[in-house]
Amino acid sequence: MKRTAAALFLLAAWAGGLVALAVFVQRHLDIGSDLRLFLPEPRTPEQRILLDAIGEGPASRLLVVALEGAPPEALAVTSSALVEALRGSGEFRFAANGDVGLDSLPEELLPYRYLMSVDDETRALDRDRLRAALEARARDLASPGGFALEPLIARDPTLLTLALLERWQPVEEPRRELDVWFDAAGERALLVAETRAPAFDPAAQRAALAALDEAFAATRSAAGITFTASGAGSFSVLMEARTRNAAENLARLATIGMLLLLLTAYRRIGALILSALPLASAAVAGLAAVGALFGSVHGITLAFGFTLIGVAQDYPLHLLSHRRPGTPPASVARGLWPTLATGVASTCVAYLTFWFSGVTGLEQLACFTVTGLAVAALSSRYLLPRLMTEGSREHGRSPLLKRLWRAIASLPRPRWTVPVVVLACVGAVAVAPQPLWENDLGALTPVPGELLERDRALRAELGTADSRHLLVVEATSSDAALAALEALDPELERLVVAGAIGAYDHAARYVPSAAAQDARRSQLPSGDALRAELEAAASGTAFRPAAFAPFLADVEAARTLPPLTFEQARTLSAFGSRLDALVPERDSVVAALVTFSGVRDAAPLAALAAPGGQATLLDVRAASESLVEAQRARMLVSLAVGGLLLIAIVAVALRERRRVIRVLAPLALTTLIVVAALQLAGVSLNLFHLISLILAAGLGLDYALFFEHAADDEAEQGRTLHAVLTCAGSTLMVFVLLATADLPVLRAIGAPVAIGVVANFVLALLLTRPAAPRVAR
Amino acid sequence: MRHVSDEAPLAVIRALASLAALLVTTASHAAPDSDALVARLKRTAPASIAFVEVRFSTLLVEPLVVGGTLVYEGEGSLTRRVETPYREESAIRGETVRVERDGEEPRTFALRRAPELRGLLTGMIGLLAGDASFIGEHFAVTTSGDDQGWRLDLAPTDRRLEQRLSDIVVTGAAAEAECFVIRDGQGSASIMLLGAAAARSLPAPLALPELLAHCGAE
Repeated sequence: MKRTAAALFLLAAWAGGLVALAVFVQRHLDIGSDLRLFLPEPRTPEQRILLDAIGEGPASRLLVVALEGAPPEALAVTSSALVEALRGSGEFRFAANGDVGLDSLPEELLPYRYLMSVDDETRALDRDRLRAALEARARDLASPGGFALEPLIARDPTLLTLALLERWQPVEEPRRELDVWFDAAGERALLVAETRAPAFDPAAQRAALAALDEAFAATRSAAGITFTASGAGSFSVLMEARTRNAAENLARLATIGMLLLLLTAYRRIGALILSALPLASAAVAGLAAVGALFGSVHGITLAFGFTLIGVAQDYPLHLLSHRRPGTPPASVARGLWPTLATGVASTCVAYLTFWFSGVTGLEQLACFTVTGLAVAALSSRYLLPRLMTEGSREHGRSPLLKRLWRAIASLPRPRWTVPVVVLACVGAVAVAPQPLWENDLGALTPVPGELLERDRALRAELGTADSRHLLVVEATSSDAALAALEALDPELERLVVAGAIGAYDHAARYVPSAAAQDARRSQLPSGDALRAELEAAASGTAFRPAAFAPFLADVEAARTLPPLTFEQARTLSAFGSRLDALVPERDSVVAALVTFSGVRDAAPLAALAAPGGQATLLDVRAASESLVEAQRARMLVSLAVGGLLLIAIVAVALRERRRVIRVLAPLALTTLIVVAALQLAGVSLNLFHLISLILAAGLGLDYALFFEHAADDEAEQGRTLHAVLTCAGSTLMVFVLLATADLPVLRAIGAPVAIGVVANFVLALLLTRPAAPRVAR
Repeated sequence: MRHVSDEAPLAVIRALASLAALLVTTASHAAPDSDALVARLKRTAPASIAFVEVRFSTLLVEPLVVGGTLVYEGEGSLTRRVETPYREESAIRGETVRVERDGEEPRTFALRRAPELRGLLTGMIGLLAGDASFIGEHFAVTTSGDDQGWRLDLAPTDRRLEQRLSDIVVTGAAAEAECFVIRDGQGSASIMLLGAAAARSLPAPLALPELLAHCGAE
């Protein structure tokens, strides 16, 4: 039978509408990749600091670069040249390799050294101190390296600049060879560079990595040198490329497999096109809805969303399998609708609960999936039948299916298996050694473990601070925070001496509070007094007092300088980025961090944070785990509510309790079986598994509903078997492909769904299929 | 104080790494009997030689004078031991310099931090080793004199290197290098007298022109 002109017009309009929506989506929807969208709103200051660190924090923008493959001399030369090139590139805020250039303090700020200096350096600039300094400088001049030091001596005879530069070095320095950082083995030169772009902006990170590549090519001093860059930014670029590659390969295979399967099932090319329309509509409409409501969509939302709306591929397949000669497609659709609508409505309501999870990424997911599924279902019900011609063959009547159905009908209905399976699964979960839930925030990242391990090793070589414990000092202004940090110093020093901690670092080590700077300034001698002291000190040495005019000028300038502000200090290359890390930018309150290395006893740190103080101790691991737990709790509550609503809808639709149980038992059992299988395989559940379980449940619900609906009509049973076999076969194929992927994320989605499809199908046959005697009619 | 840009040490290293070769090979050309001069300049490690170093600077009213021993341990290893008027030991091991002085924390820095020092040291080590395989690309070399009194003038041709040191002069006679002169072109200079030259009394008053004349490096 030929399609009518009206049908062809509808097809053209439908396709045109899809294209128009797709263009809208392309114009108006940005794809974001900030992981924080998938985490709940922070509730505690600890969680807020943690989220900052995950998202935009300087730590997440820091790339660690390792140079290797040549003798240390060549590596050191390249390291210095590379740092210089990166500093000149617009992509990086900051680059360092441990090489302390005396020029890292800008010329105009040099007089500030007399306000920023520390402890014994603030001893009065009297003749005794100056004499000792001059005697030491004379020996320096006559020593190897005297030429290098000479230009500094006239301006800074006490070498305060060097003392400050040393103080600004990382507390626990990596091994230093030839003045630059090396790993402990002395084989790799290490440097760090902080990108301007946030870590979760793959496009901008790609530009930064390209700039790094270019700078490296231009500065490589020996042919054998290779470099590796590691950090959240490089991961996001890498993962984007790898995920896209894997997805493209899989999509190609899946498309071929799907074509073969659908051709086998329906023997018509037209059927392939028709079956693709509802899913395509679901995707485009879902994206358009998210675009209209949110403006951007998270990459994870997309991945999860496309996974979840995969269930919509089944809707047209049911229609195609039930098409038969003598019945208009519209009445076929009408006949299927109560069953299909029950499945769609309950699934949509279950997904809708994500909307109330308080996690932006999940809200987007709810919006995307509910819109997508509704559009797919409605278009399968009202649009697709108009495009279809009356079926030329009865799919349910094939001899093969008939034999299969008979075989199924003669299967036992082993009710006793239900408690056995439940017990076995609960037992498996109970004996599995690993925890049921993955609480490590890191497990959310799709980055392969070996890369994370390499990154951890590189950062350990750099001696970055112990990332677990932080002391947080909150204050109303940055200066108040600096003063509060200075007040902590005596106690922190005591802890270092007592051996509880190896070292500590905070912003006031770099910029003293205004009060401390004022105090130092008031100790500076007047110009005349200093000149007299200097002349007295120089007599009896080989130095000409007049040569120290730049020194006198700097001290005089320092006597009238306003204190260096925290905001000024932030812009300094010597430690600006450290200040950013130690005092993350915040709206109203200033939260300054004290970081530690070599923490041997955290108890005294907690005591520091004791009542009355402005400091709180942040245990990053605990905060991160609490965040993940909070996230999971919200999802589980959403799911529980969704599950109850789903049961309610199924109950309303099916009315009889026995029927409701027959429909819901397979998917409940399947969920248990998948969880048990994952646990037996040594896997702790994470967000990806949870999403997969939801999809598996959605699929199972449809299988069971259709089997249940088939009731006792033999022809209907045949068609249902054909439909569910096609649906389950195609879904299984796609997710088995995912389960064999290289990327752990794809495996985490593929394996549970594949297991779930098989379990749902088998259990639906065993538990949901209509009673045997009536089938044997 | 400004460091030379980070590329400069690279040029300096390349330039000065070849100094040893220049000293040895050019000296041999300058001398009437060049092969014999090279052979005679060579010292077997460990070898030590007395030195007196006179340091001129615009910061100083009068130059600083230190004396002591240079010990060549082979393989790029050189120790400069100051014995008068105070004790100080600088050990050059490969690319690092470690300076130890009574009553102070030892300090360590990379040789590339101090290209002047590196020039001097590689020159000396090259001479002491009598063995060099580098070609100098960054110095214009002029030689003069004869076996009784030879002189090497090394002028940096690299602009960045030129900012750090204006020239290096080595003078000597027959098999003995006598003076190493290094100048920054801004009034600072270091003149190191070696061996027999170190034992002779210094000119008085001790001024740069007189000392250069004393060394045959005016």
